[in-house]
Amino acid sequence: MAPKDELSESAKLSRRTFLKSTGVVSLAATVVAPAEAAAQSGPPQVGPGEVPVHLNVNGRQIDLMIEPRVTLLDALRMRANLTGNKRGCDRGACGACTMLVDGHPVYSCSTLAIEVQGKQIRNVDGLADGDKLHPLQQAFCDKDALMCGFCTPGFIMASVGLLEKNPNPTAEQIKKGLDGNICRCGTFPRIFEAVSSVKGVQRA
Amino acid sequence: MPPADPKYSWPANPTVIGTHVKRVDGPDKVSGRAKYTFDIARPGMLYGKIVRSPYPHARIVSVDLSAANRAPGVKIAIVWKDPNDAQNNRAMFQGDEVAAVAADTEEHAIDAARLVKVNYEVLPHVTEVAQALDGTAPQVFTGGNVVPTQPQQTGDPASGFAAAAHTLEQTYSTQVITHVCMESHGTVCEWDGDKLTAWISTQGINTARENFASGLGIPQADIRVICQYMGGGFGSKALSIGGEGLICAKLAKMANLPVKVMLDRKEEHLATGNRPSAASHIKAGVAADGTITAFDAETWGTGGAGATAGFPLPYIYQIANRRRTHKDVFTNTGQQRPMRAPGHPQGSFNTEIMMDELADLAKMDPVEFRIKNLPPLAPNAMWRSYLPEGAAVFGWDKRHPTGDTAPGPIKTGMGVSINTWGGGGRGPSQAHCEIASDGGVIMRAGTQDLGTGTRTLVAVITADALGLQPWQVKPEIGDTLYGVSALSGGSTTAASISPGIRVAAVKALDALKEKVAPTLGADPASLVALGGRIQVKDDPSKGISWTDACKQIGPQPIAVDGDWVPGLSSSTTSGVQFAEVTVDIETGIVRVKRVLVLQDCGLVVSRLTAESQCYGGVIGSLNFALFEDRILDRNTGQMVNPNMEWYLLAGMSDIPQIEVRLKDQPERGVIGLGEPPTVSTAAAIALAVRNATGATVRSLPLTPKKILESLPQKA
Repeated sequence: MAPKDELSESAKLSRRTFLKSTGVVSLAATVVAPAEAAAQSGPPQVGPGEVPVHLNVNGRQIDLMIEPRVTLLDALRMRANLTGNKRGCDRGACGACTMLVDGHPVYSCSTLAIEVQGKQIRNVDGLADGDKLHPLQQAFCDKDALMCGFCTPGFIMASVGLLEKNPNPTAEQIKKGLDGNICRCGTFPRIFEAVSSVKGVQRA
Repeated sequence: MPPADPKYSWPANPTVIGTHVKRVDGPDKVSGRAKYTFDIARPGMLYGKIVRSPYPHARIVSVDLSAANRAPGVKIAIVWKDPNDAQNNRAMFQGDEVAAVAADTEEHAIDAARLVKVNYEVLPHVTEVAQALDGTAPQVFTGGNVVPTQPQQTGDPASGFAAAAHTLEQTYSTQVITHVCMESHGTVCEWDGDKLTAWISTQGINTARENFASGLGIPQADIRVICQYMGGGFGSKALSIGGEGLICAKLAKMANLPVKVMLDRKEEHLATGNRPSAASHIKAGVAADGTITAFDAETWGTGGAGATAGFPLPYIYQIANRRRTHKDVFTNTGQQRPMRAPGHPQGSFNTEIMMDELADLAKMDPVEFRIKNLPPLAPNAMWRSYLPEGAAVFGWDKRHPTGDTAPGPIKTGMGVSINTWGGGGRGPSQAHCEIASDGGVIMRAGTQDLGTGTRTLVAVITADALGLQPWQVKPEIGDTLYGVSALSGGSTTAASISPGIRVAAVKALDALKEKVAPTLGADPASLVALGGRIQVKDDPSKGISWTDACKQIGPQPIAVDGDWVPGLSSSTTSGVQFAEVTVDIETGIVRVKRVLVLQDCGLVVSRLTAESQCYGGVIGSLNFALFEDRILDRNTGQMVNPNMEWYLLAGMSDIPQIEVRLKDQPERGVIGLGEPPTVSTAAAIALAVRNATGATVRSLPLTPKKILESLPQKA
């Protein structure tokens, strides 16, 4: 199944779930069975204050006590010592925080940690295999696709996400796939070369 | 002029210097192992948050910390602008610091900052430069909102104009832009009694130490500053630790706990510096043969609240009769800080557009016209050579005269520009080299790497001197414990630290040769380090491996120091850039297709990272040309786009083909390359747009709106 269909499928499911949980469906129905009405009594609430949040990150379970408003980025950086991905803008505009959630690139600064429980989260801290760099990481080093390095983890995760879905992208597909990441030092030409040089990356 | 001791001279045939060496900290950065200030976590660390004025100009009437102090997790709350201190109780720009809190989590700090109640008396503000100039803005600054500087004159402009065959009178301008470092400004401060350790995202660990000392009134000797990795500075992190540095140190002292203060993106745009605006009303005259005979400019710009906005003008070209008067306009906006090649991008744009307009009047090709008006050829003034070379490589002969007549909405054009920069280096820039009996080499210097490749440069120079590969050298930088070394600003790091590293490495090798000579039965002076061995020069059979040589060292490593010496570095670069663009005259959208860079920097030490500097500089200037703008609301004076969504920056799809040709000048020693390549791309792009559309946009950024509005000029 093509990735596009997967996404729209999950979008449909979440709208149905949302409507059920807010009770809108029950209000719209002309006749509601008592059992159904009792089940739909209002939205679930978590917090205020810290609550348990369990995240599957780089193949490992991480158990945190954090406020529901904590983003995935901040949860990993400030509570789990996974500082590889960075905070650049905290508004989903620069891409430095890009992580993969169930294989999809997300702006982790604009994703609540509590929303991604039960999903497979991967960030740059888990990409290398011990001292052995992922082919993309090695390509970034080989082509000097970095300078200050602050945007680099986000570009790498966006690139991994791109290549895992599309192992042999065209130049246009690479550009479009990375248009969500900004580099102030201006390493774009070499990032492009690095990503172009890595073909056929399989999902780990 | 070579160094006093010839053994320190750069090698005639370097083995590592000048080659493509991979950045030595690449693996740490790509793996996430590299710890930036933003990543530092100390035991018991609190998070600090600053309360800032939302108003461009206001008096702080009162600050009530009581609700903040009661908020969950809050340990400390302080007032930064004391309402009773008449000298310091006004916010002079949106974003000016007013108070601060520190709490156990960042969420708690953010909540507490919101609970600080500040009573502002909102005062009239000046943020529109035009209103400051025409006197309709409120008078805010003591001594006036507009401060003229001394007029400068050379020759006799009046007679120059009389001799002109053609004259021009136009206004050119560039906009305020912000640095937008990917890693925001900030610091982690930790006290141990009266001693302070500060991790700070900085371009100068030693300068930061001095700033902390003078700001806190404590000895420099009691301060250690650490910056192993930092996420970009571009000038904004060079001269000052900022309000946030002092605030963090004070919060930490009061709490007796480490405190981290890292700014958010909005604070970055408002309060960590910017490139001042620059405008010029120019009258110029040109003779029939293309010589510019006269130049008369009134210039101005704003550097924010009480800060200046100078820039060189005319930029580079030799004009015998010229006059210039400049005014600094103060506005209630964040103060300028040096931004990559301060003054030069402004000077370049404000000059180069005029150059093509004059070239058209004189009916000369723009490259020819520039050559006509350049200083004589010299090693530090190479444009007369680079321009024809670049023109040939770029295909400049295919450039049509101003205005692309090809059918259809997409017009193509080419533009050219030139640039210069000082760079150069100085001491003290100490380096310390150790060679241990296990063959390990350390080169240590109290300098920092902004992403420029300093770590790699340290490894390259050391390895080259010792006959090793860069991976065999351990560069240690980024800590004031490593000694006194250069600030990274003005493209001076490489030229400042390279000589001391070379000296220390050569001295260390001399010491090793002394140890090894008896084993080889040779005179130490006859030995060389080559290909991982110490051997008699030209007699490889009389030699041993590096590892075996070092075994002779004994338990105490060889440890020697070097410092900057003259003869290994110099200053002043020259460069030229060509740009080709397409302009869609229905949408006004510009796409830069190609940029060619010819750039010198003396001796190229680390070629791969030098090329990256050029790519980066070009892209920075492309952003200046097309996208960036610090936009203020005309009425409230507040910044409308303090984020990375509406403060536009290029993405991957906006990047042209960039060709970089470094023009090696090894005989000039190390010069510096961080700034030269970012000076003039914007002008080349603007001129390519002009060449494409036939219409001139005389202000940056070249927005689609401006381009569309310019098109009727053609008719």
